Amino acid sequence: MPLIKPGQTPPSDEEKRRWPRDADGLLRALDDSTPSARRCSARDMANAENDAQRALFAAALLARLRSEHEVSVREVMLTTLVRLGDIAALSGLADCLRTDDTTLRNEVIEAMREAPAETAPIILELLGDAEPSLRVFAVNILESFRHPDVEHWLIDLISHEANVNVCASAVDVLCLTGSTASRPALLALRQRFPEEPFLQFAIDLALKRTAD
Amino acid sequence: MKRILIIDDAATVRLYHRQILEKAGYLVEEAFNGLEALEKALQAPFDLYLVDINTPKLDGFGFLRELRSQPITQTPAIMISTMAEERDRQQAAAAGANDYLVKPVRPEQLLAHVRPLLGEVST
Repeated sequence: MPLIKPGQTPPSDEEKRRWPRDADGLLRALDDSTPSARRCSARDMANAENDAQRALFAAALLARLRSEHEVSVREVMLTTLVRLGDIAALSGLADCLRTDDTTLRNEVIEAMREAPAETAPIILELLGDAEPSLRVFAVNILESFRHPDVEHWLIDLISHEANVNVCASAVDVLCLTGSTASRPALLALRQRFPEEPFLQFAIDLALKRTAD
Repeated sequence: MKRILIIDDAATVRLYHRQILEKAGYLVEEAFNGLEALEKALQAPFDLYLVDINTPKLDGFGFLRELRSQPITQTPAIMISTMAEERDRQQAAAAGANDYLVKPVRPEQLLAHVRPLLGEVST
């Protein structure tokens, strides 16, 4: 039974007739000219029955994602990619963070925040990415990420991170979510970047907010 | 008193820039993202916008494109980002930014870019 989010319209009878709800039908419906058919297809792909189908749907969704101009369809495609939990799907999503398309990047960040259990392993990889902007995006995902290890990951990050903007993003999140456990790492970070006024400001703010 | 709108999803960044600008004598308001900024700008235009690129809902580029499509304002805007590539600067200019700053920004650096766009002599 397909999952239907509140506020979403289930596939109309016409759409159901036009494209069978089996794997082949869903793949063909993803290229339909009407957004509602594409949206329904993307949504139903979340109910893949086995690993082979998950991989097939993930590849199709990723191939279509960057050319899909309808925001509501893209949202469902992203949610399904996260829910599939397939490693190729999650790696493909992470690759979207490398695009110049800021809208798509923000949508991916939102989608990844919504499913911490599925996306945690890929976020840990992103926190160690060679590209600082990717590490910043990974930290941004953690801002409202419901996972018990978030503070531990951020403490670990600021203990060795060399890029000032990555550190600043992490401190910003610790300001909102950190506890007294983050204070030693924040104090050490302040010592490492004595010439960066913004980072000093952000650390002082985080230290005040984590004081008790 | 000149009014400046700071658009950034990071609360720490907003507060940092606010303190620098208020200390320099400007009236400052904040917006979390491009949508909130657009609402504020359309209600009462500002003298300058300080725009982060990566904000949720409507990003900095989208905000500037929307703003520039309105007849009421050609108000100067400084785009601000952690991204320092030339293509990012070009994209910002294409969206309508008058200037581009790479984070983290030092207080004197921020004021040196803000003042000329407000028709003031930078000291």
